[in-house]
Amino acid sequence: MIAIHRLSVSTLQLAVLATAALILLPLGYVTTLALSADPAVWQRLWATRVPELLLNTVSLAGAVALLTLSLGVSTAWMVTRFEFPGRRFWEIALVLPLAMPTYVLAYVYNYLLGFGGPMEQLWQLVAGPQARIFSPQSFWGVTLVMALDTFPFVYLLTRSALLSFNVSFEEVARTCGASPLRTMFRVTLPLLRPSIVAGVALVVLYVVSDFGAVSLLRYQTLTYAVFQQMTGRSDNQAASILSILLVVLALLFLLAERWFRRKSRFYQTTGRYRAPQRIQRGWLHTGLLTACLASVVGLAFGIPTSLLVMWSFSQEALAILDARFFGFVWNSALLSSLAATAAVLVGLPLAYLASRKPTWLNLGCLQAAYAGYVLPGPVAALAVLVLFLNIMPFFYGTVLVLIVAYVLHFLPAGLQSLEPSIQQITPNVEEVARTLGLGVRETWRRVTLPLIRNGVIVAWVLIFLQTMKELPATLLLRPVGFDTLAIRVWLEASEEYYQLAAPSALLIVLVGLPALFLLLSRDWRAA
Amino acid sequence: MMHAPSHTTHTDTGPSDSQVDLYGPTASILELRSVSCAYEPTRPAIQNISFSIREGEILCLLGPSGCGKTTILRAIAGFEPVRSGQIFLSDRLVSSASRTVPTEERRVGMVFQEYALFPHLRVADNIAFGLHQLSRAERTSRVQDMLQLTGLEGLERRYPHELSGGQQQRVALSRALVQNPVLLLLDEPFSNLDPDMASRMRQDLHALLRRTKTTTILVTHDHDEAFAMADRIAVLNRGEIEQLDSPELIYHLPATRFVADFVGQADFITGQIQQGVVQTELGAFPNTIDGVEEAHVVVMIRPDDIHLIPNKSAEPRIVARQFRGSENLYTVQLPSGQVVHSSESSTSVYHEGTAVELRVSATHTVLFSAEQPPRP
Repeated sequence: MIAIHRLSVSTLQLAVLATAALILLPLGYVTTLALSADPAVWQRLWATRVPELLLNTVSLAGAVALLTLSLGVSTAWMVTRFEFPGRRFWEIALVLPLAMPTYVLAYVYNYLLGFGGPMEQLWQLVAGPQARIFSPQSFWGVTLVMALDTFPFVYLLTRSALLSFNVSFEEVARTCGASPLRTMFRVTLPLLRPSIVAGVALVVLYVVSDFGAVSLLRYQTLTYAVFQQMTGRSDNQAASILSILLVVLALLFLLAERWFRRKSRFYQTTGRYRAPQRIQRGWLHTGLLTACLASVVGLAFGIPTSLLVMWSFSQEALAILDARFFGFVWNSALLSSLAATAAVLVGLPLAYLASRKPTWLNLGCLQAAYAGYVLPGPVAALAVLVLFLNIMPFFYGTVLVLIVAYVLHFLPAGLQSLEPSIQQITPNVEEVARTLGLGVRETWRRVTLPLIRNGVIVAWVLIFLQTMKELPATLLLRPVGFDTLAIRVWLEASEEYYQLAAPSALLIVLVGLPALFLLLSRDWRAA
Repeated sequence: MMHAPSHTTHTDTGPSDSQVDLYGPTASILELRSVSCAYEPTRPAIQNISFSIREGEILCLLGPSGCGKTTILRAIAGFEPVRSGQIFLSDRLVSSASRTVPTEERRVGMVFQEYALFPHLRVADNIAFGLHQLSRAERTSRVQDMLQLTGLEGLERRYPHELSGGQQQRVALSRALVQNPVLLLLDEPFSNLDPDMASRMRQDLHALLRRTKTTTILVTHDHDEAFAMADRIAVLNRGEIEQLDSPELIYHLPATRFVADFVGQADFITGQIQQGVVQTELGAFPNTIDGVEEAHVVVMIRPDDIHLIPNKSAEPRIVARQFRGSENLYTVQLPSGQVVHSSESSTSVYHEGTAVELRVSATHTVLFSAEQPPRP
């Protein structure tokens, strides 16, 4: 009805509504499927799988959150409060782990911590020949891998909060007779809490929706279980029930974080502020700081990357660098560019209308587009799969299904860079173009588009690179025999062919680096 | 033409009576001996700053932004290391080139320009922040006393963002005063308030500091604020003290052209000493600086010392009038092109172009030798 009422307004409006429908429809189908299931199915799942899966997921999220909290905050403190040779290098190096997909890190650690692996041999030198270390395929193994991969979220947010911290708060605490330690625990850390919590929330969402690491390390979480229900048992109904639980869980985390943020909104400092000065450090402290930072960056990025390079140049790996391999590269690039182009085309009208005509309808559509945020890859795949099976079964098994799933999954990431770039231009510049005799289309082409070009490019590149390393949706929806780099890494790593997985993994890591620098250049200045 | 000079004579030297006491190290709460601070590109440097402050005195550091006044405050608080010289607080050496006593051991209270109230703590907890070594009961009673003293009763459960600017300032003040600091440091405390509120807070604060006999150093760029609050004012320019005197002396007997210009509107008229008096376009003035014959000098005249009388045969012309509510400020051009200002009562309105005769009250003119370059 609303659509009819607005029909005359513009085709743009229609495009926006269609996008929202495209996103909400699959979700609706999954929900219906889950709710229409026989209560016996619910009961069976609840009695057998759900308690274990929930416990596993929540405890993993908790442990990773704690570990990333200490890693992220302490490293951020080191590079913002001290001045020592190499500080600038570490400041950037600490972000590098984000370029490493969890499944790549998981597969490297499967080797490093595995039975008879280098870590165990090292440990046996110290603790005797019978000594064992914890298996990578255990709770602690998964926790370690996930924490090393995600702590940069906490690091980045804490770092920028520390950089914009008003040092007057600390100084006034000192004039009140507080020691430096008391000042840190009573003033600085409480004031940083909102940023730290936002970072940890990102980590938790990441962990809950991760598929790569948990599948390679055989750790049962809800996300992994959704995948197993779809592939192993082909039971889409059970999968959709687990998906609903998963989405509810993610929403709960998200709401908790929102609630916390709202409570601490007034923490933001206003007015004039002075940034703290870095404390100059002597060689002893420099050594200690460098050792700390080097071990963190080494474990999370340096050692894994060197291993990948080493393996990639092994005989076995070089042997597979043939036409087939470049076919995988082509497949990855093709899928990623299609997905990025589609997502940008779909996202632009959404962001534009929500910014220029912020009616409840347009804002609602924009919010709907952000729903992909709480959809782990397997769930997005399931939703799109169910939709196509129901209304357009002839498309099943084509690339189109994959593209739709990617758009659903990565649209929020694209919108996050499209939205600000559109909001930054005042409507006045468009209006002045109209007064100068340009039509709507001309104005768009000659004024709006050039102004938002950078935002559009950033959005496209980000989606491209995210799609490049996407794993679960690709695994579930790809046409038969259509392999990408990410698929190859996962398949070879599952069989423990470490050398064979290395070239693809290395390529994914290298291609991921520019995305990092894009993200950084956006946040770095703001901080 | 008539002038009421009684309150502006140079014998009004309240604080300077005890000059001798002031510089005895034992009588002062704080003493700075030729303090210089390291030059950093981000902070204005200060050079060779010396002054001391008696118990209960309110001293104001006045100067334009970038003159180093805040750097002095931060050096006293212990945030800024000194390159040379010494700072004594209650006769204890707290800062020198080799030694900096940490801030928390100095017992100074400080109110920052933006107040820096801890946003995560309620008003009562903000005030009690520095009292953690006391028992809970004692802490509560100290906080209550302070709330009463500063008129903040009933607000103790609020968070800082729920307070008005004036209330925030009083909380910041309470937090500093509750620890009975030996010295209170105020960094531009009124700059975040609107003018009406600022003048009310100024009176309240002055009364409060007097009542509690708090030794205070106030930093400001606003000369009205300095005049209203201070027992003595140190005018700073480019990291050096240009003059340290009572507000009255600063205004009426500025030591340099910079001071004269900074603490109020002033016109500078060139003149020459002839036969023992200074001859200028506006008439003759006494030679108060013992200038030699024929020497070129500059006479400083404040607008309230120039009086206008319309006179059709006079040469000076009114070129502009600025209505300021309580007064009219006239800009008058002399035949030579020199421009002077005159402050007239609010009701005496003359049109632009009116020919006026100027009467200058010679008692308050100040001479500078012309060689002294004008300071920006």
